[in-house]
Amino acid sequence: MRGEVAIVGYGETPVSRARVDKGEQRLTAEEYYAWAMELTLNNCGLTKQDFDGQGLGVIGAIWPHSEIWSAEIVQNLGISPKLLLRADHGGASAAALLLQSAFAIHSGLVDIVLCLGADAPMSVQNGSGLRTWRYELDHLIPYGMMGPNSMIAFVMQRHMFQYGTKREQFGKISVAQRYNAGLNPNAYLRNPITIDDYLKSRPISDPILLLDAVISVNGGLGFVVASAKKAKQLTEKPVYLLGFGEKHNYSHGSIYQPDVTVTGVTQAARDAFKMAKAKQEEISFFQPYDDYTAIVLMQFEDAGFCKKGDGGKFVENNDLTLKGDLPTNTGGGQLSAGQPGMAGGFVHVVEAVRQLKDEAGGRQVKGAEFGFVTGLGGLTFGGNLVNSFALILSSEVPK
Amino acid sequence: MTAPILAYEKPIPEITDLTKPFWEAAKRNELVLQNCKTCRKYQWYPRYSCINCGSRNFEWKKVSGRGTVYSYTIIRQVVANSPAFQKDIPFVVALVDLEEGVRMYSNIVGCKPEEVHIGMSVEVAFAQVTNEVSLPKFKPTASKG
Repeated sequence: MRGEVAIVGYGETPVSRARVDKGEQRLTAEEYYAWAMELTLNNCGLTKQDFDGQGLGVIGAIWPHSEIWSAEIVQNLGISPKLLLRADHGGASAAALLLQSAFAIHSGLVDIVLCLGADAPMSVQNGSGLRTWRYELDHLIPYGMMGPNSMIAFVMQRHMFQYGTKREQFGKISVAQRYNAGLNPNAYLRNPITIDDYLKSRPISDPILLLDAVISVNGGLGFVVASAKKAKQLTEKPVYLLGFGEKHNYSHGSIYQPDVTVTGVTQAARDAFKMAKAKQEEISFFQPYDDYTAIVLMQFEDAGFCKKGDGGKFVENNDLTLKGDLPTNTGGGQLSAGQPGMAGGFVHVVEAVRQLKDEAGGRQVKGAEFGFVTGLGGLTFGGNLVNSFALILSSEVPK
Repeated sequence: MTAPILAYEKPIPEITDLTKPFWEAAKRNELVLQNCKTCRKYQWYPRYSCINCGSRNFEWKKVSGRGTVYSYTIIRQVVANSPAFQKDIPFVVALVDLEEGVRMYSNIVGCKPEEVHIGMSVEVAFAQVTNEVSLPKFKPTASKG
């Protein structure tokens, strides 16, 4: 399937924290779906009628009123597809939809799929936090676990203990991504920060500081996946899916007491690089899933950019900004651009496509040829993240 | 022991058919775990099938209550839906690896938050929070650590 499907174009709405008092918009997930569709279709030069009898993919959301959410969205948008996909992989949902679309196109069922992701966590009233895993309600929350902040705190703590990783090394990721965000007009946080700002940011759940964590926003994004042949008819610059890998419920070592410093990206990335016939040195930029700085740092190791445990040194010795050798989260990532709820993983895919189409404006990575993207989702009981995806996207399909 | 505990405001687990033996034992200050009758592996959290062999045959077995701190966090700030924990800040939540080979989330009590460290030996210490629920927490091991 190497190079068999391609992304044609994309759409991304402005983001908001729903601070009406600051003049921000307070919209629903449903409205962001409509907006993301409009922007994505316009970017691709397509109409929604082009997807009647083709594919539509949507994702789970924090907001929805109904569990059968895809049925509501397909009616709201007024599309009659042959294939209706819904990804339920948390932050990995965008990557999951891309691969499900690729498999459907490969099978010959459809030729083109519209993938949309939107969420409005900042518009949700109190009580939303109770929609979580049964085991979290019964065996974590009674002890005062504060959701993802605390779960990833265990991971970061352990990485520091096992490998001597320093706080400043995690902080450098936060600072570098903020620099990149400064060149992204759609990033929620654009003011530059220093390591000192990072170290002085509010402690949340030791060792996690405020600037180790994502900022939650409302927003909607989309992209269109097509067969390579169809994609060439629709755009001068298709972005090819050159390689991919996925792994779920990975445990490093014992399934009962895993090493939390290793993610499923080890396996997903290995498969993606093999399929793409690409090497780490050839990668023009990296869009790692970034709910926390520790998760970014571990992925340099797990994806083979450095040895396990050397992530701290790798970050210290490399410039992760747009000026460096491996620009990382070139639009600021979720840490600075914002995480639109369950649609967070779209940020990485859409930014990679924008870069490979040479449409990133002031933050364009010159001559970008191979982009490496990951999607991670779902927190593990006693581990790190449940769903791991790795994607290699490219502007051409090399021999 | 059985005097009503008033106004416990924090979240408590829902006691279900699956977890009832665990919470019944906890009321007697005993830590029990699901043990697979087919492959004899312990597991935590409680499930309907064995994550090793898939068997649905379990018994609840009393375990040592001893373990070590695998990792921990000191909570500095509550999130929107956890206001009842505000007055406890700072407090420790840890991943405790039990001798029987499973990992539990719990609080470390009986020492200052700053004294908690990875590899610390701990033992179970039940905290009765309602008439129905005693939460297994962990404290530094008395003899050595």
